[in-house]
Amino acid sequence: MSAKRGAGIARPWLLMVPAVALLLIFLVIPYINIVLMSFRTPGTGTPYGVGFTIDNYLRFFSDSFYLFQVFNTLWIGALTTALCLIIGFPVAWQLARGDMRFRGLAYGLVLSPLLVGIVIRSYGWTILLGNAGLINRTLQALGIIDSPLPLMYNALGITIALVHVFLPFMILPIMAAIQGVDPSLESAARSLGASRFTAFRRIILPLSMPGIQAGCILVFVLSLSAYVTPSLIGGLRVKTMAVTVVDALIDTFQWPWGSALALMLSVTGAVCVLIFARLTRMKWKVARS
Amino acid sequence: MKRPVLTIYCLLVYAFLLAPILVVVGASFNAGNFLTFPPQGLSLRWYVTFFNNEVFMRAIRTSLWLAAVSTVISTIIGTMAAIYYVQHAGKRKELIRIAMLSPLLLPEVLTAISLLFFVYTIGIGTRTIIGLVVGHVLITLPFVFINVSASLESFDSSWDMAARSLGAGRWTRFRRIMLPLIKPGVIGGALFAFIISFDVFTISFMLKGIGMSTLPIQLFDYLRTNFTPEAAAVSTLSIVLTLGVVIVSEKVLGLRIHRF
Repeated sequence: MSAKRGAGIARPWLLMVPAVALLLIFLVIPYINIVLMSFRTPGTGTPYGVGFTIDNYLRFFSDSFYLFQVFNTLWIGALTTALCLIIGFPVAWQLARGDMRFRGLAYGLVLSPLLVGIVIRSYGWTILLGNAGLINRTLQALGIIDSPLPLMYNALGITIALVHVFLPFMILPIMAAIQGVDPSLESAARSLGASRFTAFRRIILPLSMPGIQAGCILVFVLSLSAYVTPSLIGGLRVKTMAVTVVDALIDTFQWPWGSALALMLSVTGAVCVLIFARLTRMKWKVARS
Repeated sequence: MKRPVLTIYCLLVYAFLLAPILVVVGASFNAGNFLTFPPQGLSLRWYVTFFNNEVFMRAIRTSLWLAAVSTVISTIIGTMAAIYYVQHAGKRKELIRIAMLSPLLLPEVLTAISLLFFVYTIGIGTRTIIGLVVGHVLITLPFVFINVSASLESFDSSWDMAARSLGAGRWTRFRRIMLPLIKPGVIGGALFAFIISFDVFTISFMLKGIGMSTLPIQLFDYLRTNFTPEAAAVSTLSIVLTLGVVIVSEKVLGLRIHRF
């Protein structure tokens, strides 16, 4: 054991006690609690009643409104992930391999959105996408359109803003993965007669796969549980599941029902991630990037 | 320029990344009553309105206070865990790593909701700020852990051995040898924890007490009903605060902050 290397702290496990206690009491137990809660009966005047039931789940599966909403949320998540990958990959490649003088600046530009709060970034999109927003006004002033394009209060607006919010989470893992690929592999392939495209498809793409997988899962999970962006951009017209759950809990205090909804969203999300991992033959390892 | 198409493509993506942020900053100098961009003349009037708005000022104070308290707690807990992780964990290393990163890997909405139910179940509720602080500590803990363990990986334990053989006690060795060497990681982690806490939304939204508000929540509430550029002024100040922290730490203190 490496205990000797630590040079003589008598009981080193004591160092872990606060962190383990915190995670156990305030993460593990609450998660067990919410699973139990989802099987409780609704209360009258109280957040939940006595006894257990599976009615909450039956209600969920028998109500096409919620099934549709979960489907819609997954669809927006998948679309956001795909767009992030398509938009982000060339940027990640450029950051990892490009011979530019301004790499530091470019890296800072990719990171900068992460430092600006999510409320502010979504707010910026409302200014841009609104009916009287910058994009519509400009297009109208140029005479390209007569009436404002519906960019906000729909799935399109939510997706545009989500792509913006989560793009750095796609670019950074892919960039790290490409940086880990030895450039001489590429030149070897080229010198053996592979075209630039073949070298990319057979060398870069497979070797950067761990980064692509990590980025995709991160973006997908984050967009499923996003609340602020869909809430501000979607308004009351388009709601994603996370918005419905949070609003239901804040307005009505139906804990068992809210728990069941939140868990169903998370479980379907997790199933999607597992299918994705299976399809892309992912090796499970928390990436160290 | 070698690949002009790729370069232009990347510039467009960078423009896309910056656009909404620049628009907010631009809108904050708008002289008009409504949020239009480009601004109808330049003015600082919305900053004056904002500085005189007690609701926003109180929210900023709450956010700063909350970020400070949770940063201190998560820096201490996270640093201790990182020391164990790098120096003593042995075979359990991967398990500890996943556990410490779990608040980052689990959906924030679900964590927020389960924490809300939990604080009510154990009778604390949202009358006190305990739940709120715990939520912020949980969310910021992974960032401290990542930064401190990164700097510990390059810590040469023979320094520690040398000090020990010279008779230095446990606490002295920690204070005089290890702490100075891992200080960049600790400060970097703490600064990033502070920024994250300052921006956390969902956890605060669920766990805040009645009548209490952090800056992101106040801004969100305001945006649902108001359209004046005051919100843009608030946002711009918030952006300047965060960027200030980062620039000071990276350029002045020469720290390298690990975000992942």
